[in-house]
Amino acid sequence: MTTLPEVGFVALSAALLAIGLFGILTRRNFILLLIAIEIGMNAAILNFIYFAAYSSGTAGLTGQSIAVVLIGFAATEVAVGLGIVLALNRIKGTINVAQAAELKL
Amino acid sequence: MIVEELAFAVLAATAVLTSIAALLVRELVHTIMWVAIFFVDLAAIYFLLQAPFLGVLQLGVYAGAVTILLLFGIMTTRKRIFSREAATGIGPIPFGLAVVTFIFLVAAIGEFPQGSTAVTVYDPTALSANLFTVNGPWLLLLGVIMLAAIAGAIYLVREGRE
Repeated sequence: MTTLPEVGFVALSAALLAIGLFGILTRRNFILLLIAIEIGMNAAILNFIYFAAYSSGTAGLTGQSIAVVLIGFAATEVAVGLGIVLALNRIKGTINVAQAAELKL
Repeated sequence: MIVEELAFAVLAATAVLTSIAALLVRELVHTIMWVAIFFVDLAAIYFLLQAPFLGVLQLGVYAGAVTILLLFGIMTTRKRIFSREAATGIGPIPFGLAVVTFIFLVAAIGEFPQGSTAVTVYDPTALSANLFTVNGPWLLLLGVIMLAAIAGAIYLVREGRE
């Protein structure tokens, strides 16, 4: 039977979310931005799996099922994000998000 | 169990360090390498949490597909893939905001029941049965969104669009 420290997982998840948030706010390269979003999403997925591991029955299985769906969502988001990267690179010649400011007022 | 707690401590420290390294190194290819290690590390944590199906999924989707996609993104958008990024500062406001978020979330840990309880082991068969029955609508929603995303990605990258 496995026993693990409960506090550690929530702290790790919080740390990963904070790192992802920091990356989203500071990085200007679109690919780095995508990676920062992925780190934040992994924090959420870890939380789902952690709480599923400490639940039992259908509640835990639902947590793991949602984690499976979230991994799919994250992969989809990367695919669309890279489509935007390629389009941005073709139109602007750069993937710096600071250069893509046409929609700014 | 002291071995599992030690394993978790090492894996958690590696996850935090590799994710920070991925965002701070200046060569994008090195970023991809750090982030690949981060994904594999998280898969190991999922195995530790007795979720082998999710661990394998993490290895296949994240460490495999997402990493290679990001690498392709770098290869197609620059002439020399090892060229360095311009240095961007850490910035006191984003750093402060990240620290405040972390402290806020860690402060909420006190709300949870403390201590170490046993981890529930789920049979992958039961997980797949749950995924296709109780949580079937989520899976259908994922399918519809993926289809829309494929169409959107093809529209974005097709030639001759201004």
